[in-house]
Amino acid sequence: MRKRSITWSLLLSAAVVFAFSAACWAQVTQYDEEQRMNMESHIGKLTGHATAGEPLYRRFCIGCHGPIGDGEGENAQWIDPKPRNFTLGIFKCRSTPTGTLPTDEDLYDTIGRGLVNSNMPRWFPLSDQDRADLIAYVKHFSPRFAKEKPGSVLQIPPEPPVTEERVKAGQEVFRHTECWKCHGVTGRANGPSADTLTDDFNRPIKPFNFHDGTRFKCGETDRDLYRIFMTGLDSTPMPSFADNLKPEEAWDLVMYLRSLQPMNTPEKAIAKKLGLKPINPNAAAQPQTK
Amino acid sequence: MKTVYKPAAILAVLVVVALGLLSTGRHVSAASEGKVTGSIKLEGTAPHMRAIDMSKDPTCSKQHSTPVHLENVVVGSGGSLANVVVYISQGLPASAAAAVPSKPIEWDQKGCMYQPHVAGMDVGQQLKVINSDPTTHNIHPMPQPGGGNIGWNKSQPQGSPPFTTSWKAEEVAIPVKCNIHPWMHGYMVVVKGPYGVSDESGSFSLDNVPPGSYTLTAWHETYGTQTQKVTVTAGKPATVNFTFKAK
Amino acid sequence: MPSFARGSIAAALFAVCIVLGCAPSSFAIPAFARKYGLPCSACHEAWPKLNVFGQTFKDNGYQLMNDRDSPIWQNPSYWPVAFRNTPNWHRESVNRVAVDVPAGLAEQKIITHGFDLSGMDVLSGGTLYNNISFLLVPSMENTGEFGLESAWVRFDNLLKSPWVNFKFGKFELDNVISEKRIMNLSNLGGAYQIYHFIPAGDSNAFGQLGDNQLGMEWMGHSKNDRSRLSAALLSSNDGSVNLPNANSYAGFFTASQAFDTGKLGVDRFGAYAMFGQAPTFTLNQLGNPFLAVGNKNFSREGAFGLFYLKKLDFSLFFQHGSDNPYLGLSLASNQPLPAGAQSPTWNGGFVETHYTVNPQLIFIQRDEFIRMSKQALPTLPSSLGDVDAYTFSFRWYPIMFSRAGFAIEPEYSLMRQQGMAPVTGTSLSSSSAFIGFDFDF
Repeated sequence: MRKRSITWSLLLSAAVVFAFSAACWAQVTQYDEEQRMNMESHIGKLTGHATAGEPLYRRFCIGCHGPIGDGEGENAQWIDPKPRNFTLGIFKCRSTPTGTLPTDEDLYDTIGRGLVNSNMPRWFPLSDQDRADLIAYVKHFSPRFAKEKPGSVLQIPPEPPVTEERVKAGQEVFRHTECWKCHGVTGRANGPSADTLTDDFNRPIKPFNFHDGTRFKCGETDRDLYRIFMTGLDSTPMPSFADNLKPEEAWDLVMYLRSLQPMNTPEKAIAKKLGLKPINPNAAAQPQTK
Repeated sequence: MKTVYKPAAILAVLVVVALGLLSTGRHVSAASEGKVTGSIKLEGTAPHMRAIDMSKDPTCSKQHSTPVHLENVVVGSGGSLANVVVYISQGLPASAAAAVPSKPIEWDQKGCMYQPHVAGMDVGQQLKVINSDPTTHNIHPMPQPGGGNIGWNKSQPQGSPPFTTSWKAEEVAIPVKCNIHPWMHGYMVVVKGPYGVSDESGSFSLDNVPPGSYTLTAWHETYGTQTQKVTVTAGKPATVNFTFKAK
Repeated sequence: MPSFARGSIAAALFAVCIVLGCAPSSFAIPAFARKYGLPCSACHEAWPKLNVFGQTFKDNGYQLMNDRDSPIWQNPSYWPVAFRNTPNWHRESVNRVAVDVPAGLAEQKIITHGFDLSGMDVLSGGTLYNNISFLLVPSMENTGEFGLESAWVRFDNLLKSPWVNFKFGKFELDNVISEKRIMNLSNLGGAYQIYHFIPAGDSNAFGQLGDNQLGMEWMGHSKNDRSRLSAALLSSNDGSVNLPNANSYAGFFTASQAFDTGKLGVDRFGAYAMFGQAPTFTLNQLGNPFLAVGNKNFSREGAFGLFYLKKLDFSLFFQHGSDNPYLGLSLASNQPLPAGAQSPTWNGGFVETHYTVNPQLIFIQRDEFIRMSKQALPTLPSSLGDVDAYTFSFRWYPIMFSRAGFAIEPEYSLMRQQGMAPVTGTSLSSSSAFIGFDFDF
C-alpha cells in the first residue's frame, strides 16, 4: 500500500514537473512569437505593424517565401534565383554597410521595385500602408531585427557633372578594382571568374550584365548604382567597395558603367567621342600607375 | 572647488593602484598557468591534393614558379597533419574564456592563397585582413546564418591598406572565400580561450591555460572533430596527441 | 396591347434570356499563377475578382515587369492554358410563364431544378515576347457550341511608356468592374443587368457593355496603375464575326483615378462613355439577311467607383442610356416614325458589396435597378421594362495556391421585370438558387 502511494506520488510529481516545464517552454516560444509580432516598421510618416502585415503576407508572399519566411514556399523549387530566406535577416539591397541590417526604407523600396531578373515582382501597386505592414511582418521572421539596429546609411554626395575626365577616370577605377573579373571588360557578365560564381548558399549565380540595359538589382538611378557597389549585395559574390573607393572615384565608376549600357546616355556619347576601348585585362596586371 | 578636487585625486590614485594590482595579478597568474602541447597525425594515405589552375588570372599564376596545390589536407613528413585547430571546448573558467589576446591575427591574401589557410582566433580578437597581391580580392566570410556572427563581403583592390575586424561569437568554423578566385578558400575558427593551430610538423600548443580539467577539441576541415580529456597543472605542460584517420 | 409590342417584348425577353443563359466566361487564369509562382490571392481579391496588383498585372499586358515576362524564361513544358467549368445544381423559378390552356394562352408559375453544367472556358493567355501579350478564349457553351469569347494581341509599353498600349481583336471592354470577373454564377445573378439592358421593343443589341467586342483599343496607365485611360474603336456588331450585320462603329472611352486612402485601401473613381451607331434593318421581307443599313445612334454613359473600408468594399456602377427612336421601336430607318416616337432613355446601376473575410472566403451581395425615364412611345407604360434584382452569395475556396483554383459557391438571386409577363403584361418575377463547384486549373 505504502509502496504504491510512493509510486503514485513519484509519477504525479514527474507529471507535474513535466507539465510545468512544457508550459514554461510553451510560454517562452509564445512570448517570443508575441514579441516578434509587435515588430513595427517606420518609413517616413508611415508605421507598419506585423499583425496587419500577416494577412497580406499570406495573400501575396507565401507562395514563394513560405509560411515561415524561410524562402521554401511551394513554388520555391521552381524558381531561380531562389526566394529570400527572411529568417536569416540578410538582404541584398541595402543602404547600410555589408554585414549590417538594411533600413526599413531599404526593404520598403525593394518590395516596391521588385528584383530584376528574378521572380520578385514590383509590388508598388499595393497601398503604401500595406507595403509598410508587410515590411514589419518580413522583419518579424528574423531574430536579428529584434537584437540589432540597421547599419548607418551610406552618405552619397550629389552627383558631379559628367565630364570626359570622369568617364576616363571611371574606366581606370573599373580596371583597378577589377570589376571586369566578373562583369567582363565590356560589362557583358563574361569576366574570367563569371562562370565560377556561387552565392552564400552554394547556388550558381550570374554577375549583372550591363549590356542587357535592364534596371539594376537595387534600382535604376545613378545613385542606386553608386549604392550597389559601395554597400555590396550581401549573400552574393558582389562585395562592398566602400572601404577603398572615395566618393569621387565612386561617381567616376558610375559614369563609366553607364557607358557600358546600350542606352544613349551622355556617358556613352563621351565614351564614343573619346574612342574609349575596353580595358586590356593583361595591362591590368601591371602595377597601378596613379 | 577644493572639495571637488579632493575626491577626484583620491579616485585617480585608487584607479592607478587598482590597475597596477590588476596587471601584477595577471602576471602572477600567467606564471602559474599551464600549457597544453601535442601533435596531430594522420593515419593512412592522405588524399591527393589537386594542383590549382590559376591561369585565369595571370597576376596569380605569375607569382608561383611551381604549381600550388589545394590545402584541404596538408600533411608533413611522417603523417603529421597541419591546419588542425585545438581548443578547450569544456571546463574553462569564465575569466579565462573572457580574456582576449591583444595581438591581432593576420589574414593575408598572398599569391592568391590565404595565409594562413586556417586561422584560430578568439572571440573579439582583432583580425587584420591584408592584401599583398597585385590584384583585387574580395574577402567573403560566410558564418552559419542565424548564428551570432554575421557575414560580410568586402572588396580589397591591389594596394589597399589592411583593415581590421573581429567576430562576435564562437564559431567552428567560418568558411572564407574569394569569389573572384574560386580556388581561394580558408577557415576562421573562432573560439573562447586558448587555442592552437597545428603546423606542418603537426605540433600545436595552447598557452596560458589555468590549471584544471578540460575537454579539448581538435577540428580539421576535412576530418571533422575529435575530443580528449586533459588535466593541466601549473608549470608543467600537459601533452595531448590526436590522430585522425584518412577516409 | 398592340401586337407588335407583344412580339417585341417576346423578342426582347428572348434576347435577355439568351444573354442570361450565356455562361459568363470569367477570367481567373491559373496558367499565370503557375508561370509566376504566385498564389491566386496575389492577383485576385478572391478569384475571379481582381485586386490592385492583379489589375496592374493585367494593364501591363499580363506582365509583372520583372524582366521575366517573356516566355523564353519558361520551362518548355509550361503551357499557358487553363480550363474552367462549374458543375452545379440549380433551381429556377418564374412566376408567370405562358402555358397552353384550352382557352389559349395563360400564365403559370413554373419551377425547374436539377443538376447542370456551365459552359467551359479554355483560358489561354500570356506573353508572346516581352511587351507582346495575347489572350485566346475558346469558349464552349454547355450545349457544345464553340466560339471565340476573346482573341486579341496587345502591344504593351510602346515607346517604353505604360501610356501607350494597343490591343487588336475581340476583347472585353475596359470595364474596371468587369462582368467577366463577376463573383456570381447563377442564371440571374451571373450577369450585371445594366451591362446587357435593352428596353422593351428595342432592337439594339450592340450597346451591351458586358459583351466582348471586336475592335482596337488604346489603353494607358500610370506606372502604379492609379490613373487609367482607354479608348476603343469597335465594330457595332456585338462581337459577332464575319461582319454579318453591321457596317457601323462604336467608341468606348473610360478614365479612372485611384486614391491610396491609407489603412482603408485603394479606392477608385471613374467614368465611361460609349457612343455608336447600330443598323436598323438587317433582314428583307423574305427573312434573308443582307448587309445592315440605316445606321442610327445610341449612347451609354456613366460613372463607377470602388470603395474600400478595409475588408468591406463596394462596387458602384451607374449608367444613363439612350437609343435612337428607330432602334427603340425596331423600325427600319426608311419607314416613317409613328407619332410621338422618341428616344427611349433609361438610368440604371448597381451596388455590389463584398466582405472579404480572407482570401479564401468572401461574401457578396448586389442590388441592381434599371428605370426607364422615357419610353420610345409615350403611350407605353412608363415603368415597362424596369428591372430590380438582388443577389446574395458567398464563395469559399478550400484551397489557395498557385496551381489551380477551386471554389464552392451557394447563391440566391431574385429579379423583377415590370410589364414583362408574357400574356398579362404585368410584372415578371423570377428567382435562381444555385450551388456550384467552380474550378479552374
